[in-house]
Amino acid sequence: MSEAIIRAKNVNKTYGRVKAVKNLNFEVPPATCFGFLGPNGAGKTTVMKILYGKANPDRTHDTEISVFGYDPRYEELQIKTLSGVVPQEDNLDSELNVIQNLKIFGRFYQITGKTAQQRIDYLLNFMELSEKKKAKIRELSGGMKRRLIIARALLNNPRLLILDEPTTGLDPQVRQLIWDKLRNLKKEGVSILLTTHYMEEAFQLSDSIIIMHKGEKILEGNPRELLKRHIEPHVLEVIDKTSVEKLERFAPDGNFRKEESRERILYYSRSVSLLQKMAEELAAGEYYLRQVNLEDLFLKATGRELNELQ
Amino acid sequence: MSSSRKSTTRQAHRSQKNLPSAERELRSGSKHRTHPPLWNRIFSVWYRHVRVYSKNLISNGFPPFLEPLIFLAGIGLGLGNYIEQMKGFPYLQFLSSGLLVSTAMFTAAFECSFGTFIRLEFDKVYDGMLSAPITANNLLIGEMLWAGTKGFFFTIPVMIVVSSFRILPVGRVMLAPVVGFLTGTMFAAFSLFVTSFVKTINHFNFYFTGFISPMFFFSGIVFPVDNLPSFIRPLAELLPLTHPVRISRSVCLNTVSLPLFFTDLLYIAVFTFFFGLFAVKRLKRRLIN
Repeated sequence: MSEAIIRAKNVNKTYGRVKAVKNLNFEVPPATCFGFLGPNGAGKTTVMKILYGKANPDRTHDTEISVFGYDPRYEELQIKTLSGVVPQEDNLDSELNVIQNLKIFGRFYQITGKTAQQRIDYLLNFMELSEKKKAKIRELSGGMKRRLIIARALLNNPRLLILDEPTTGLDPQVRQLIWDKLRNLKKEGVSILLTTHYMEEAFQLSDSIIIMHKGEKILEGNPRELLKRHIEPHVLEVIDKTSVEKLERFAPDGNFRKEESRERILYYSRSVSLLQKMAEELAAGEYYLRQVNLEDLFLKATGRELNELQ
Repeated sequence: MSSSRKSTTRQAHRSQKNLPSAERELRSGSKHRTHPPLWNRIFSVWYRHVRVYSKNLISNGFPPFLEPLIFLAGIGLGLGNYIEQMKGFPYLQFLSSGLLVSTAMFTAAFECSFGTFIRLEFDKVYDGMLSAPITANNLLIGEMLWAGTKGFFFTIPVMIVVSSFRILPVGRVMLAPVVGFLTGTMFAAFSLFVTSFVKTINHFNFYFTGFISPMFFFSGIVFPVDNLPSFIRPLAELLPLTHPVRISRSVCLNTVSLPLFFTDLLYIAVFTFFFGLFAVKRLKRRLIN
């Protein structure tokens, strides 16, 4: 495997009394998609910001950060020349139309005139926005705005694309479209760094994920392998707590792990037949038997309680 | 940039020779791979503001034409009838030579208080801009130059009005936009400094009612500051607007005293530099956090 394009060692960030990021270490290999998962307030956005110089990490002597060999604390310009950033909030110029937004942003990279025109045409076509060329920003849907911001981040042909919750609040069609585009970019050799709290998104796109909680890395690895290693493959969700009594006779067997979540009880097990047997005791609408997904792992790792930022 | 950092950058450049070819191409391959030069970084911030502003040119640019007309008509013609002369000049002349710079102050103060705050907190425009290869310093210097440019252009309508009514000689009024630019950057620097303290947008009301509006009256635009009571005079001399007003007036009325001219210019330069510096230092902490 070739050398990592991002290397972060012992990254810390404190806001007032809150430790937003604690002793974070990770490496991102080239042309992969690397995902940061975590509830709101886990420190995902802060990590992204530190990588392109939008936030300063704490001054601890053993902190090392390198993006393409550059340190974001001193060489943010080089990093931003090689990277495209899609921030969490839409920040297009609403006074201008689609093309004007891109043209003005091209200036920052010294992409002007014919080169700019060609690049913009290509990107609008790529993000399926060609018909909206002349549209005002106010006339665009949430999904179109997001796609336009992604197009804007791609203006300089970046080697790294940093996306902070790229599909939050978008409908399934647009999410699928954005995922397809991101996969295409990865094939072209662009490395992708994304934060999300959609498990599905992380699972679909990422070669590697980090699950963060309260500023700390809890788990890291390939999503499929993480599931294999850290959680039972099947789960029986009992939707109403009161019907659990019918399952008590299975308790001594102990071949499952029971988790409570407000009104629901979840039985995790390696044996699908055991869960099926348990399910037979319940009425059709009382349970849901399924394979585990990243969400189960995520909740197992980060807990089911809400924090003050959620 | 410190010398040690410079040398590490140099080392980084040298070590690129030993990198695998793909990585080398990635770092410096096409001409866009080295980061844009300083002038382009500041220029693109300025350019963004010009484009967004000029999108609504009529509604943005018409009031500055009307304002001096209204003021000259109301105060100049009305009040001016009762005041024969002010410091040896017809009142309309006296007033117009000061009004030339006040619009620059107002536009720059608005731009770098309400405007900056909205871009910073509501529209998140700066977050978008800072994802491009520019630094927070570049961004803020671009803001000040943009406000200076607005000061330059906002002086032009006043200039056209006062010269077409033959209140002031055309040749001398031509220099006013340059003073407008200086006034604009000066108040941009100070307003950015004020903005760096502001947590909610309503706080700007204090700035405008408590500082900007009184300054209009105590900086020698409507009456000369030397007639103020002796205990207020030094205060009027401290006010930033007093100095560009004196420059504009002395140029327009051909009463330039070189020592005073250069003192005023020095005041403007020092004021702009220091408040600009403090503003950048403080706002940077809000932009890069």
